[in-house]
Amino acid sequence: MAIDLNFNDEQKMIWNTAKEFFQKRCPPELARKYENSEAEFPVELWKEMADLGWLGMSFPAEYDGLDCTFLDVYGIYVEAGRTLAPAPLLEAIAIGGSLIARLGTDAQKQALLPAIAAGDKIVTLAMMEPEGRYGAEGVELAAKPSGGGYVLDGTKLLVACAGSAERLIVAARTGGSGEDGVSLFLVDPKAAGVSLERTRNIGGYPLYAVTFSNVSVPASDALGPVGKAWDALNEVLMKAAVLQSAMVVGAGERVLEIAVGYAKDRVQFGTPIGKHQAVQYLCTDVAIAQHTTRLLTLHAAWKIDSGQPFLREAALAKASASKAAAKMTFAAHEVHAGIGFMIDYDLQLYTLRGKHWEFNLGDARHHLELAATQQLAAA
Amino acid sequence: MVDFCPDDTAELKAWRMEVREFLEEAWPRGKVFDYDYDEDPAGWAEYRRFWEKVGQKGWVALTWSKDYYGQGRTAIERWILNEEFNAHAAPSYPVIGLAVASAILRVGTHEQRRRHLKGIAEATVLWGEGYTEPSAGSDLASLTTRADRDGDYWVLNGAKTLGTAAHHCEWMSVLARSDPNSSKHNGISCFLVPLDTPGIQMLPLHNMGGGQQNQTYFENVRIPADCLLGEEGAAWNQVWFGLGGDQLDVPGPVLDGHTMRIARMLGEIIHYCKTTRRGGAPLAEDPVIKIQLGELILGVEAIKLAVFESYSNVANGGIGGRGALSSNLNQAFYKEFWPHLGQVCMEIVGPIAQIQGGKWAQMEGRVEKYFRTSFGNHAGGTAQLKRMVAATRGLGLPR
Repeated sequence: MAIDLNFNDEQKMIWNTAKEFFQKRCPPELARKYENSEAEFPVELWKEMADLGWLGMSFPAEYDGLDCTFLDVYGIYVEAGRTLAPAPLLEAIAIGGSLIARLGTDAQKQALLPAIAAGDKIVTLAMMEPEGRYGAEGVELAAKPSGGGYVLDGTKLLVACAGSAERLIVAARTGGSGEDGVSLFLVDPKAAGVSLERTRNIGGYPLYAVTFSNVSVPASDALGPVGKAWDALNEVLMKAAVLQSAMVVGAGERVLEIAVGYAKDRVQFGTPIGKHQAVQYLCTDVAIAQHTTRLLTLHAAWKIDSGQPFLREAALAKASASKAAAKMTFAAHEVHAGIGFMIDYDLQLYTLRGKHWEFNLGDARHHLELAATQQLAAA
Repeated sequence: MVDFCPDDTAELKAWRMEVREFLEEAWPRGKVFDYDYDEDPAGWAEYRRFWEKVGQKGWVALTWSKDYYGQGRTAIERWILNEEFNAHAAPSYPVIGLAVASAILRVGTHEQRRRHLKGIAEATVLWGEGYTEPSAGSDLASLTTRADRDGDYWVLNGAKTLGTAAHHCEWMSVLARSDPNSSKHNGISCFLVPLDTPGIQMLPLHNMGGGQQNQTYFENVRIPADCLLGEEGAAWNQVWFGLGGDQLDVPGPVLDGHTMRIARMLGEIIHYCKTTRRGGAPLAEDPVIKIQLGELILGVEAIKLAVFESYSNVANGGIGGRGALSSNLNQAFYKEFWPHLGQVCMEIVGPIAQIQGGKWAQMEGRVEKYFRTSFGNHAGGTAQLKRMVAATRGLGLPR
């Protein structure tokens, strides 16, 4: 069938397994427990996901992967988002692992991919800088040639799970401007001159400020072509943005459930508040934002799997997801009033994490501009 | 399997080319004619000639049964045909005729099919709608137009309103209450009414978009008993659903004229931003305008994808249009988006956008024209009505 929005049987099976797994293993209490916790994420949960084959699913088979397609893994991210699973799937797998798989030498891949797939090691990207700028222009951390290698100086923010990472993938500037001159380096977070500082943040995530002071990196630790890493990096990040959107799609379904459930149960003025059209419209605000994001995200995922250009579609998906993350939680709070404001109530878990998702990998304005740039170039 | 590619075989690609080549001959590429917003007589004549040509190809009735002037082709071929019409900016067929044909194919008698479907298929007979009444809009089931049986005739009395382009039509599909003791959804019947029947009077209602809608009065209008479509009193379920009340889900949703209109407006505003300088720089380089364009691109894309979703639902045996939660959410979205698109295009073009034509107008006044038409977003119910239906039937909130 040529127009079909349904997943194939194998994908549905993976998705159902993921749904059951996350429902069972990731109740809201787990998300609460790992909020601002010293441990970055529950290692045993991570190992179970490795045992299910989920960590290396997209890696090549020769590096203990399963050569799975983008749509194969899609459902896992939807369910992780729905249950707020405290696991760095996006950071360590969709971004970290994918960058190694995409750009690594055989030696780099041998050293890292099987261990990542097994749940023994993670790698994480260090990209955002104190100016808070998205895109290639935001990469200003200097990597100066020295001896046979490079010396890094500068600070990266919002680096996920840096404390437990085997390697940081540091986006640095070896010259040029904009997309030209962006390079990636594999750096041991325990190396001399690297200092980590955990930064408390809105979603309680394990995010770090990482400062590089005169850090020497051998040329063999460059990941991908020096000065010419942007295209591959961008492609990996845009694919990850689609998976971040899938997480918002899953979370949105849960937010809708919470809001609709409350609107049915809560009685004021002698009637369930959900009988009032003002409240019904708030619920449909959540549903419309979720639904629109779902369509755009699925379309982008299909573009990726069918080997077509996908940057415009990925940008639209993430723009929609970023807007939805804000809009859905806002509307749900309006339905709830006071109770939704309470820490003990689960809605706030989505609201605060939603703000991280909204910014992560580019906010709505960034992606709307990207989509417009793509379409202006095409038209 | 997830797939958004309609022409995945050589046969379908060839079909797409056949449609494309026909259109190159039959309609000037990019020439705009909206049957619901244009009243120019020469334009109407050209429009009707064009659709008669399409009708002669057998393409209006592409998916209908071969027993009734159709070609028995597949839903995906119809999808591709519509995509090509959209790409070419060819004008769309008056939607009521297709809805009536769909209802006749589903619940009409053999004689009704023989009598009416040929004219619809060949585009020689146009159909208008007689559903909305002055006091029955969103709450259509409160309609009061009466149909009383008198021997071999039905006698219609009442008034219908907001009939888009009805003055160009030869026939009208009319919903009337045939059981005087009934209320709400029960007791409503559908009648196929020739508009030259004595007792029918039509008065024009001019809309903001430049089109003519109509108020149609029925005063002791006698029509033969065989004008009743479907079962007496059962029109609400037999005819209204799957017709004007919701999407045309037989044989599958397609990109329609409304989607074409917003896609065209988006294409034009993008072209304008690329080719227009303000303050020494192209509008397309202004970051605020780029974000505005991004929002419009997102909206149009989401609306197109919603049609893919409906098609997929129907193709997989789901309910697609009728009352599905996704359908109501999508309709609420696009109904709110149309005027938003008009508003943002006005903001981008700025004060000069007010000028409707002549040498000082921007884009020959097309943004101003689109803005006016964008308030015609209420046919089949407002966005608020769709939200109400989504909330109560889809999300299970109390009524």
